Amino acid sequence: MHIEKHPVLGRQLHKPVTIYFNDQPYQAYAQQSVAAALMANGIKKLGVSRKLVQSRGLFCSRGRCCSCYMTIDGEDHVRSCMTEVEDGMRINSNMDDPEVRREINAD
Amino acid sequence: MQTDVLIIGGGPAGLSAAIEAASRGLDVTIVDEANQLGGQLNQQTQELRPLPSIYESMRGFELAHKLIEQIKDYNVRQLLNHRVVGFYADGSAGITDEENVFPVNAKKIIVASGAAEKAVAFPKWTMPGIMTIGAAQTLINRDFVMPGREAVIVGSSDFAMETAIQLMDVGIRVKAIIEKQSGTAAKEQEKVSELTRKGIPFYFNSFIKEARGNGQVEQIDVALPDEVITLNVDLVCMDGGRAPILDVFYQLGCSFGFQEELGGWVPQYNNRLQTDREDVFIAGNAAGISTHGPLLLTGMIAGISASEELQAISHAEAHEMREALWKELGLLEYKEVYSGRVKHLENFASPVLKDQFIS
Repeated sequence: MHIEKHPVLGRQLHKPVTIYFNDQPYQAYAQQSVAAALMANGIKKLGVSRKLVQSRGLFCSRGRCCSCYMTIDGEDHVRSCMTEVEDGMRINSNMDDPEVRREINAD
Repeated sequence: MQTDVLIIGGGPAGLSAAIEAASRGLDVTIVDEANQLGGQLNQQTQELRPLPSIYESMRGFELAHKLIEQIKDYNVRQLLNHRVVGFYADGSAGITDEENVFPVNAKKIIVASGAAEKAVAFPKWTMPGIMTIGAAQTLINRDFVMPGREAVIVGSSDFAMETAIQLMDVGIRVKAIIEKQSGTAAKEQEKVSELTRKGIPFYFNSFIKEARGNGQVEQIDVALPDEVITLNVDLVCMDGGRAPILDVFYQLGCSFGFQEELGGWVPQYNNRLQTDREDVFIAGNAAGISTHGPLLLTGMIAGISASEELQAISHAEAHEMREALWKELGLLEYKEVYSGRVKHLENFASPVLKDQFIS
């Protein structure tokens, strides 16, 4: 659930955007992090752990604990708490060992 | 890229250091991983006090605005959404914009990397819906998102009490505060009494035995001294205390000392907030977990010391200002934290064993 009217800060959610989580559209607001926007839509499980395959979600919201990795716009292993939502963003759960980014032209 | 002073971390300490250095005509660069300056101040809606005498009492996000306004007057380069990932052989910082890494050569470095929250482990603590109190505060005050409807708080520090009240203010039901000790850890008792007045039960000598849920937390077992109770919750906020973030200091090769009162392992520094690497200064929670007043003061001291070494301010003037700021620090800081800080300084000045703190 989004907080439409904050007790101290008032109305802050002005710019709605649409994001796609596992191909389903959800409403978010500009400036929210991906993990927060999903939580507002009731999605807390963002992926699974690589070895024991247990549910993982937002834990520290500071980009340090690395619990909230997701695939965002085709890029694997992105910290969803440190990424701002953008209109039309495509987000997928981190269900697998990520494709580690590597130099495309490396030999 | 060349700069006089590179400041790593754009929270209260980094910003106040930047103001000191930049106001004396130095070229200052701030690098911060987030997309805005202000650090954790941005989601702090509580009144901060006591602040140093040059600031009136205000809320966290108001202080962030004020500090950011102040640096706008000066020549401060901002590298937001950037991270320091290491250091080159010539001493330049390697900074990434998440695509490329480029060197920044700085005459002086001030590290204000802040603190990280520690976890409280119990069976299934890694389940979604279980998060740090700082994460919950960020969700409600920065992202404007409800992290849940029914919550428990594990731990009872000032930060936990403050967050519990803020969670209730946005309409989350706080079912209990669970504390493993026999009393609250909070130093400001007024928030504890506010929660008690609102009818929030405090379970002392208690801990979470297990969390359960399908994909996210739905239920917890709480072990009270004489029985185990089950609570239905969709949010568990844990407060395991905070520890200084040390990554950059390891990379810089700084030495460390253990100081319980400052939050554990802390880089060593002298009263100029200078580490054992003479070109590296330290400020804020990285120099010892403290409250907002001391965070700003240590930032100011580090900024003044770096300016002094770059001849932007005379030794006599710097000395005098530092004396005054340390005096104020002694007044604003919790006694045990301040005495830990003094001990930390003494240990660095006269180590018992040679090289005992080298990492």
